[in-house]
Amino acid sequence: MSTTGTEKPKRAKIELLVRSEAGDDFQVTKVESSLAYRQARPQRIPDGQIEVAEMRSNVRRSTTYMVKNRVTEKYIELSEPEYFLWNQMNGRTSVEELAVAYVLKFGAFDFDIIHALIDKLQRAELLTMRPISRLRAMLAANRKNPAARAAEATLKALDRLTVGSRTAHDAFTRVYRYGAFLIFTPVGLALLALVTLLGFKGTREIWQDSSDLYAGFGEHPVIALLLVKVFFFLTLILHQMLHALALVHYGRRVKEFGFTMLHGFLPTFYADVTDVFMGSRRARIVTGISGPMVHLFLGSLYIYLASQCGPGLLKSFLVASAILQSQSLFFSLYPFCFLEMDGYHVLVDWLGLPRLKSESIAFVNGGLWRRLRAGGRFTREEVVFVGYVALSITSIAAFVGLNVWFFVHTT
Amino acid sequence: MAKSADLDFLRQVSLFRDIADSERQAIWSRLEERRLRRGEALFRERDAGTEMFFIHTGMVIVSKFVAGRVEQVLARLGPGDFFGEMSLFDGQPRSATIQAETDTVLYWLDRANLEELIKENPRAATAFFKQLVQVFIKRLRDSSDLVAEVTRWGLEATGLNVDQHPGVGGH
Repeated sequence: MSTTGTEKPKRAKIELLVRSEAGDDFQVTKVESSLAYRQARPQRIPDGQIEVAEMRSNVRRSTTYMVKNRVTEKYIELSEPEYFLWNQMNGRTSVEELAVAYVLKFGAFDFDIIHALIDKLQRAELLTMRPISRLRAMLAANRKNPAARAAEATLKALDRLTVGSRTAHDAFTRVYRYGAFLIFTPVGLALLALVTLLGFKGTREIWQDSSDLYAGFGEHPVIALLLVKVFFFLTLILHQMLHALALVHYGRRVKEFGFTMLHGFLPTFYADVTDVFMGSRRARIVTGISGPMVHLFLGSLYIYLASQCGPGLLKSFLVASAILQSQSLFFSLYPFCFLEMDGYHVLVDWLGLPRLKSESIAFVNGGLWRRLRAGGRFTREEVVFVGYVALSITSIAAFVGLNVWFFVHTT
Repeated sequence: MAKSADLDFLRQVSLFRDIADSERQAIWSRLEERRLRRGEALFRERDAGTEMFFIHTGMVIVSKFVAGRVEQVLARLGPGDFFGEMSLFDGQPRSATIQAETDTVLYWLDRANLEELIKENPRAATAFFKQLVQVFIKRLRDSSDLVAEVTRWGLEATGLNVDQHPGVGGH
């Protein structure tokens, strides 16, 4: 059986011969696949294997549910209607009955949502939390081009540089138990506040006497700045460790910790903190901002120490490092730059819009002009989408402008 | 069994299409008649048997056990069609159940008669086997189509949408 072009094939049928109890008589019936589908009785996995976390959206005024399969460690996000259907999937309710229950609950018939949900649940086993790179997709689509082939091979080679541990959780638990727990106590917070205050004090003092800050680098400022960068890079591991320790603090599991080449070319450490989805919103926010707090702490400490040093190599080194740390703090927490950094994750959590970036870009690219032509008030969600894109574009333009200005005025 | 030759019927059977009437006459003399009432089973899957059958009138259903009282209908056969040749050649139990959908008249040929036919009419036997191969090929193709259709049925019935995400998914 075959079809041509885009013609949709008819639903498949099979013919069954069903015998009577006595076996001396029979009936032949044709069964269409859609009938079997409607009569199927989906059953969710046992409750003991599931963990559910509720996530409230402040923009949509709705709740989504993060469902975790404890055995496979896969996550799936369900909308309110999907969660309702999921709860009906007890192995006794047919798909047809699910549709009826859906109508009674939500007042509208939408068979597609059931189909899509079942499809989604079946595929949950295939979900990975690793994003698919658009660059990779583009290179794969252009393999005829030798340059694309070479770039793809290079990225594959760089991929092999990934080093990760799936048993890091135990190590972090020990680190937490033997002292790191203090970070998440009022003592830790007070220390951070104190160092931050000292940092402000140091900044003021440095600002008042900012002449020849980099003179200490002597005749090799480029090499010195590269060393500052390398030193900074090593501190990034602390950033990820703090995320992981925050996860342990909230009783969740660090699934993986390691080093990788982000997008194939950006060396970085990483901590897989996806289990925080199952925690409270407070847990998610604290986990999100705990990493950037490393930059606040180190940046403040460096600048304060620099203010206490006399002119020389150490002072220049500390000032340059402090600037890098403060930049990292800003970029980690600033959510409006199309990069999914920590601040972005905190923002989407607060808004309850997990696909804020992609949905915003899709709305502005696709529906915005139609929406403007149609007139009428924007929904809260649409305002957020437009606001996100506008702020991100403005921020990037400002960043580029600032760098150009800085370059022009310092050369 | 005394019976008058129905050469028109034998001409209708593809296996006897390319042989002379005199040879058809010889074959006819070796065939035995069997009548089935509507709903009557001729044989069931896994029964022993070494005969092949030619349908004169009526219709039979070929089915295979699935579960409980349910069987899957593999084919419907009518006048001029034949079945049972697999057990005739390999002597293995019947691979499917045959049940009359209407009152049916069949003629059957067993292994001993077939072997005599081969010995006495080698030209007719050659034509017979040549046609048999053609029918086997067609049935093989039909089986492949049936497998594909049943697979499609299974995918649709379980709601598995394979054409949207053919490989590993991403998130």
